[in-house]
Amino acid sequence: MTHAIDIQGLRKSFGAKVAVDNLDLTLPTGKLYGFIGPNGAGKTTTIRMILSILFPDAGKLSVLGKASASDSKDRIGYLPEERGVYRKMKVAAFLDHMGKLKGMSGPPLKRTIHDWLERVALADVAGKRCEELSKGMQQKVQFIATVMHEPELLILDEPFSGLDPVNMRLLRELIREQHEQGRTVIFSTHVMFQAEQLCEHVVMINSGKKVLDDDLAAIRARHEPTEIEFEPLDIDDDPAPLSGLSQIAGVRKGEQGWEATIADGAPPSEALRAIVGAAAVAKIELKRPTLEDIFIDKVLEQGSANIDTEALRASLRAGANAAEGADAEAVAAGEGVTS
Amino acid sequence: MRRVLQVAWREFASTVFTKGFIIGVAIVPVIMIVLIGLMPLLMSDEAPKVVGSVAVIDKTNAVLPGIESRMTPEAILRRQNDSADRVREAANTAAKETAGRLGLGEDTVPEIPADTPLDMGEAPEITIEALAADADLEQAKTALLTGDARSGGRLAIVVLEESVVTPDEQGDYGAYDLFLRERLDDRVTNNHIQPVVRQAIREARFAATGDDYREIGKRWSVTRGERKTVTAGGETEGGEIANMLLPMGAMLLLFISVFTGGSYLMTTTIEEKSSRVVELLLSAVSPMQLMTGKVIGQMGVGALLMLVYGGVGIGAITVFNLVNIEPSLIVYLLFFFVIAYFIIGSFMAAIGAAVNELREAQALQTPVMMVAMVPWILWLPISRDPNSVFATTLSFVPPVNPFVMILRLTSTEPPPAWQVWVSIVIGLVSAWLVAWAAAKVFRVGILLHGKPPSFGTLIKWVRMA
Repeated sequence: MTHAIDIQGLRKSFGAKVAVDNLDLTLPTGKLYGFIGPNGAGKTTTIRMILSILFPDAGKLSVLGKASASDSKDRIGYLPEERGVYRKMKVAAFLDHMGKLKGMSGPPLKRTIHDWLERVALADVAGKRCEELSKGMQQKVQFIATVMHEPELLILDEPFSGLDPVNMRLLRELIREQHEQGRTVIFSTHVMFQAEQLCEHVVMINSGKKVLDDDLAAIRARHEPTEIEFEPLDIDDDPAPLSGLSQIAGVRKGEQGWEATIADGAPPSEALRAIVGAAAVAKIELKRPTLEDIFIDKVLEQGSANIDTEALRASLRAGANAAEGADAEAVAAGEGVTS
Repeated sequence: MRRVLQVAWREFASTVFTKGFIIGVAIVPVIMIVLIGLMPLLMSDEAPKVVGSVAVIDKTNAVLPGIESRMTPEAILRRQNDSADRVREAANTAAKETAGRLGLGEDTVPEIPADTPLDMGEAPEITIEALAADADLEQAKTALLTGDARSGGRLAIVVLEESVVTPDEQGDYGAYDLFLRERLDDRVTNNHIQPVVRQAIREARFAATGDDYREIGKRWSVTRGERKTVTAGGETEGGEIANMLLPMGAMLLLFISVFTGGSYLMTTTIEEKSSRVVELLLSAVSPMQLMTGKVIGQMGVGALLMLVYGGVGIGAITVFNLVNIEPSLIVYLLFFFVIAYFIIGSFMAAIGAAVNELREAQALQTPVMMVAMVPWILWLPISRDPNSVFATTLSFVPPVNPFVMILRLTSTEPPPAWQVWVSIVIGLVSAWLVAWAAAKVFRVGILLHGKPPSFGTLIKWVRMA
């Protein structure tokens, strides 16, 4: 099987700031990939190098079997993080322009534009100027511009930023559908739960370095749950006696009830049974580590000293404020200013 | 290449097919035509009819009858109509000649009917008051301060000393004095009072020496027939003014085309960058293709302006046979347009890519503005002496050489062809260099948001990229 993307020893610096540091990455064809990491981790810079918009200082790169994306631009669909439309152009004319830039032409192009606008319920705004559209509508138009030429490889940089929940769901469905049609899809995000919802495989990077690269299922399997969350039947029950259980290392009050930490080496199934045996519970579940937890573990494992985990968590959750973060990343990428 | 052309086409179409552009292009000639058409109307606005008297203190005893006979209501009306006739005749002749040159035939143009009212103002009613030769002038002047010019007040006092008709020992004639009411309609003074007084004085002088006034008048009057400049390309009627205006016009044409295309290039680049559409574009085309397409597209806009304005200009020059235009001049003009446009356009594209918004572009534009001013400073010295050392040197110095060369080429003494071609080669090389540097700045700048770069940073980018 050929690889959609093959990167070896990729490195790019802007002045003193190293944006991407010795990155290896192999993405097999046909998978749905999440490319995750906090703002300023080097995601956009890596994507820009994959697309030959920027050129690496060192390392090897092959995209769809070619050494440069310039040779296969028509086979790639790229939705940039910072995206816009020609405000004065009409929607259909804008898509026509984008289609022609991607090598389409004539009646098939017209048909494609029409079909896509129908699909995302924008057929009635085809003759309107882009500036008259809401931001969500503009995002849909941009997505059409990305996929209209039926690319083999789809690269979506923070595709969900700035979308409301309804459009977020629509976009998620559209991305899934593209994947089901056999396309390789990579999407970057700094909001981990979006990756959890959608992808099969995640690549995590931090400070330009890869910290994790695995199937989501395998990651879950490897990261055994270490916590149990439960609600006592009687909310006033004192769960203190539970800490005496050999399978439980400690109990504390959590956000949604009580949280018990499973003792080292104890199988989670036994810990569950032990709690149910010792207390009357209304609800009990194993708390799986989120990608966010795993990411932070990985960053800590790598030994980056003095990391403020709370700040890191906050930056990973700042999903709604993506635009702000995006600017910071672009500045960092360009001028060597750390964000 | 197809992509570059698609970018170019969008650039051209989105600039040209807008109301703003079409109105902008049309408005300049329209404003000029309207101004030319309105000027006489504005100047001959309706003034109230002048009714009043002109007092004459005639110490010669010879001039007054001549004045009186020329200030009768009939004589005034005749003068009024004569000047209207002269205007009509001039208009008829000009219209016929134009029609003839356009190949329509002189007879196709209808004559302006003699009874067409021309706004020459209403004929004034002027009566002559003969004051005694020893009348008190100061006393007479007080009447100029009372009454008004519409109901019979005193309009003017003419004082004729004896020496006006009788020369002194040296044979020199004296002058007449004219005292006028405040804010008197100029046309009454210039078309009636002064000519009448002058004519009456002349008549009196001739009568005093016994000469035949009419015979002398005929001998004095010399009329000119044709006035044509003979050139290798044929005879033209243009004179000094046309010779000065051609360099000005050609340079203006070059200037408008280059700077319009250039500034559009900058604004559309800033717009693409600030609306972030550029990122989407770069998924389909490379920065180099994008810039090339944009530069070509706006060159089309500049070329269109050149075609429209240049076409109108050359048409007018041909129809009126003002100056002879060599076909080679048009070829040179195109060459210099391409050179000047590439230098200015590349620079503007680079600035557009480097900044985030129009406001930030201002500081970086200073060098372009300086280049833009040079042609205006140089116009007069170069068109006066197109082959001076100064002019010759400047025609090899980029980026002003296209403008200087066009000034010299359209002057009365065009430079030798070798100089033109050397200037073109220098221009092409420098255009290539500027485009190369601009492409580097463009590539770095187009994806960068944040602090606007200084001029020094731009140079760093050129070295770095």
